[in-house]
Amino acid sequence: MTSALLTLADSRLPAGGHTHSGGVEQAIAAGIVHDPGSLATFLRRRLATSGLVAAGLAAAACGAAAERLAALDDEADARTPSPASRTASRQQGRGLVRVGRRAWPSPLWDALTDRPHHPIALGVAAGAGGLAPRDAASAAAYLSISGPATAAQRLLAMDPLTVAAVTARLSPDVDDVAERAVGELPAATDPLLDLLAEVHAARKDRFFAS
Amino acid sequence: MPPDHNLDDYVDPYAPGHRHSADGKPGPLRVGLGGPVGSGKTALAAALCRTLGAEYDLAVVTNDIYTTEDADFLRRNAVLPDDRIEAVQTGCCPHTAIRDDITANLDAVELLESRHPGLELVLVESGGDNLTASFSYGLVDAQIFVIDVAGGDKVPRKGGPGVTAADLLVVNKTDLAPMVGADLDVMRRDSAAVRNGKPTHLISLREDPSAATVAEWVREQIRARVLV
Amino acid sequence: MRTVVQIVARPGPGGRTVLPVVRAGGQLAVRRTGAASVHLVATAFGPLGGDDAEISLVVEEGARLAVRSVAAAIALPSRGEPLPSAQRIRATVAGALDLRLEPTVVAVRAHHQAELTAHLADGAVLTATEQVLLGRSGEEPGRWTGTTRIERAGRPVLHTTVGLGPGEPAWLPPVAPRAYASTVHSAAEGPADDAEVATGEDAVRLPLPGGWVTTAWGTELHRVVGAVDALSPAADLRGTA
Repeated sequence: MTSALLTLADSRLPAGGHTHSGGVEQAIAAGIVHDPGSLATFLRRRLATSGLVAAGLAAAACGAAAERLAALDDEADARTPSPASRTASRQQGRGLVRVGRRAWPSPLWDALTDRPHHPIALGVAAGAGGLAPRDAASAAAYLSISGPATAAQRLLAMDPLTVAAVTARLSPDVDDVAERAVGELPAATDPLLDLLAEVHAARKDRFFAS
Repeated sequence: MPPDHNLDDYVDPYAPGHRHSADGKPGPLRVGLGGPVGSGKTALAAALCRTLGAEYDLAVVTNDIYTTEDADFLRRNAVLPDDRIEAVQTGCCPHTAIRDDITANLDAVELLESRHPGLELVLVESGGDNLTASFSYGLVDAQIFVIDVAGGDKVPRKGGPGVTAADLLVVNKTDLAPMVGADLDVMRRDSAAVRNGKPTHLISLREDPSAATVAEWVREQIRARVLV
Repeated sequence: MRTVVQIVARPGPGGRTVLPVVRAGGQLAVRRTGAASVHLVATAFGPLGGDDAEISLVVEEGARLAVRSVAAAIALPSRGEPLPSAQRIRATVAGALDLRLEPTVVAVRAHHQAELTAHLADGAVLTATEQVLLGRSGEEPGRWTGTTRIERAGRPVLHTTVGLGPGEPAWLPPVAPRAYASTVHSAAEGPADDAEVATGEDAVRLPLPGGWVTTAWGTELHRVVGAVDALSPAADLRGTA
């Protein structure tokens, strides 16, 4: 592991993550998330599904050639049937490409489309930063819960120390997901997250883009 | 294999200073409009759109905190078609979205640029924030900070990045000064003292709905950019 | 016990569909019940943990095939060490396939793995339904893992794995449903089969290229199936019956 992984997973990396709640804003509106316990449950659920899928795609995209990246982008679409979730993923992919190109200059970036899925961009960023597929999977798995955790903290005015503890205690789960994702393209899905994403996207009164 | 990290001679082709359209012209001038809630940012944006809309190809990005209220206001009052207004969600942090992680705003600006290739001016209106709010120069080329006299004539003296560092400070609602007991001369003097020679305009959108002096300042910025 | 079913549907004279290959061995028999429809009939209890069924369906260009079953399948646990039961359906479709089996009920301590892999040619039409109930009446829920992968002309259109029941990482309170249903429809891309997003209470329809996938979940299967039907464009479901 190199410190590039820390940069990649840092919430301060300006890639647009702070405007996405990963479904938490709608989960709060639906009464599913309301306290640290229900937040932890939601995060575990998200990690095991979209987090696992993202980790698999990111690992596969790390060091992949252009043709493979296009095929992986198709695989990401097939695993993300919700249009709202697709848009959110591609928005964050574009944001990561923007900062990644400047942070880790590499010809690898030119193999990507204008608006790749976030895990694909993440894999390319990891490759450009000299990281291994397992690192890319770790970053994807971690990011699948860190952004939503922060969003919940803001929306519910939760104690940030509690939210940090909730996230930290999921570390073994994050490691497990990253470990299982490498070499596979998992397709785990949660219809609840799809429903939340679509109901959220149709709202006009929202703080977060997703 | 670690990539080449020799940064000494690295030219960043994507840095804002290198922003050019395909024909080598600079992209549109991006002007940030920041300031506390209720100071009149959206009204000023609408005024600038009405005054400058006939001269320049322009568009607006709004950073509403919760709703699309500002964007809707502009649609009604700025004579701007819908496809020239983009609203971004700021994830409860309007401040972050214009300074620390400008991704969502860059996306919106670039979307407008691709939709209107001849664009000459983009106004980026921040969500209502406090006196510490300021735009990153990665997002805008120049920024206007809007305060109003109703907030009290001590605001310029208190300073803060918005008041001291903005390229133009606008003190709005001068028509209210007698009613709220604000001394415009004090505000003018205090502003000059903390702004290191940068301009301050005192305006009343009620008395001059065209915001003529601010519009003229924006024209100067566009001309200066074209000359470079 | 290993079960193998093979069916090939081919266009015959006068636009009818003929079935040149109908083979079944193990726990399923195949009965031809209509001009272009077959029913799968269970010949034993189960499946039991450790049982494995492989169903191969080929629908050639110009042919139509509807596949049904006569009763709900009840997945039961294995007697010795805990093993999942598996049912893999592999469909290669250039014509039209309408696959609607009766519900799968997963008994307590059982784990059933269902898999549908469909390779669609350019002009193919697929409609497939899935209905699942965890636990028989008054019983604790069993565990069900369902994977759907649909490719059209070699490109993936949909690939999802849904896990329900104890031990599944995303089956967590307060949303841990006992009943689940899903219908997927995929035709060649065209406005006739496009569908917008639609949402209901614990139900969502998502667009696919030339089709849609509707999913619903809840406590009672008949309500969940009703929710799926309510969000599924009706005309498409009748297309191949």
